[in-house]
Amino acid sequence: MATVAGGAGDYPERSRHRLRFVLILTLVAVFYSASWQLAQVDPPRLLVGLPKMAGWAAKAWPPATDELPVLLRRTAETIAMAAIGTTVAALLALPLCVLAARNVTPSMALYYPARWFLNALRGVDSFVFALLFVAAVGLGPFAGVLGIALHTWGSTAKLWAEAIENIPPGPLEAAAATGASRLKVVAYALFPDVAPSLVSVGLFWWEFNVRASTVLGVLGVVGVGGIGQELKNSMDLLLFPRLLTIILLILGTVTVIDHTSEWLRRKLE
Amino acid sequence: MAATEARVARGSAGDGLVALAKGLTKRYPPAVTALTEVSFAVRPGEFVAVLGPSGAGKTTLFRCLTGLPRPDGGTVSISGRDIWESPRELSSARRALALIFQQFNLIRRLSALENVLVGRLAHVPTWRVVLRRFTRADRQLALRCLDTVGLVDRAYTRADELSGGQQQRVAIARALAQDAKIILADEPVASLDPESSATVLESLRSAVSTGVAVVASLHQVHLARAYADRIIALRDGRIVADAPASRLDARSIELIYEKNGERSQA
Repeated sequence: MATVAGGAGDYPERSRHRLRFVLILTLVAVFYSASWQLAQVDPPRLLVGLPKMAGWAAKAWPPATDELPVLLRRTAETIAMAAIGTTVAALLALPLCVLAARNVTPSMALYYPARWFLNALRGVDSFVFALLFVAAVGLGPFAGVLGIALHTWGSTAKLWAEAIENIPPGPLEAAAATGASRLKVVAYALFPDVAPSLVSVGLFWWEFNVRASTVLGVLGVVGVGGIGQELKNSMDLLLFPRLLTIILLILGTVTVIDHTSEWLRRKLE
Repeated sequence: MAATEARVARGSAGDGLVALAKGLTKRYPPAVTALTEVSFAVRPGEFVAVLGPSGAGKTTLFRCLTGLPRPDGGTVSISGRDIWESPRELSSARRALALIFQQFNLIRRLSALENVLVGRLAHVPTWRVVLRRFTRADRQLALRCLDTVGLVDRAYTRADELSGGQQQRVAIARALAQDAKIILADEPVASLDPESSATVLESLRSAVSTGVAVVASLHQVHLARAYADRIIALRDGRIVADAPASRLDARSIELIYEKNGERSQA
């Protein structure tokens, strides 16, 4: 008995591990089966419905071109909404990202409130902000612009603050050691260093917001207009050729913007 | 040591000394005393090398001179004014000091000239800094500082395209543009090859010829003897030698290192 005492000492340890493993497995299984139920996943229904969808797709060819000028205008509306929303957000984010970056914030008493405020903005989706702003400015793209601007403000400033926190501290210390004020150090020594990553983050959010403002329109409730609104209308009226035109327009726009911003970002390296 | 005390005693406020340390003591509780009763004076246009094995207190000494940690005992005066007398004295002392770092600390994406202009930041109004509109006089001064370190032809080269030695010389030009009375260089050539080290130390000598004082910590004895006017040797936080570079012979310097159980590589 004495000879196996050492081994016996391991047993409770091992069985505790096994118990924990089984427990975790059970929890994961419960989580997924509950989610499956709640999401009402029903593969047979998909199999039955797919031919119907294929029928729609067949009826969509060829895409309708008679309303192209209107649809192009709506596409431009969507891009404009994203551009103005992102630009306003960037201008608002510029001072705030300095407060929210640990290495350059003037004081921790500003750092924490800035972080909380940005997290709150980030936590609320553009769509929800847009809904709220409909009450203030009524239906139309402007509500969408405001929604995008607020959400993007939080997201951009947070990513920018992280970019600032990642730069080497030496050059800033050297500039501060000359007796220059913090504002001068930030404007002269910090911004040239982080500018490429700031622009890169800004372009990413513009890209993202073009897609987001399309979705704002599709969700319809907001009545923000743009190409998304047309997409929803065509869907509701079962105008499949028109729907196809719109989808192609969205794909084309997103592709062009993706490539443009990727090209710009590469030029900045 | 007695010689130092005598010199310090004569060096009371306002007699033209750029830096004066008296009885500097700095402890890091619980057990470390980094500096013990360190006293010395630096005159305008003097190049002082601080030697000593690692852990001798060189970095703590430099930090105390910039007023970063407050010493536990003793005083530091820059241009005859006690830096701890008031916050205003401290900030005016900091403007009179220029720092040179081992890692140069230039702003990578700016040109050499724009990096030298960092030395002017404290002297110009904020709007000029934000808009990057320096006066012609400031730009000419910056170019002259680059000329002093022999890099005027690289004025428009981006800092990250310069070699390590060239970057350190731009940092020296930045210190000159700051119009400082004294340049503190903590291990300015520790990360450079011998050839670059020589050009950097020559640039420091050119700086000294403009009237500014230089205090540089070095860990190569032959460099200190070749470029400095005076050598201060630290060991275990105390000054063990303070003499003109020509009068400190190689043997007495080696003793400093040997007693510490280390041998100088120089």
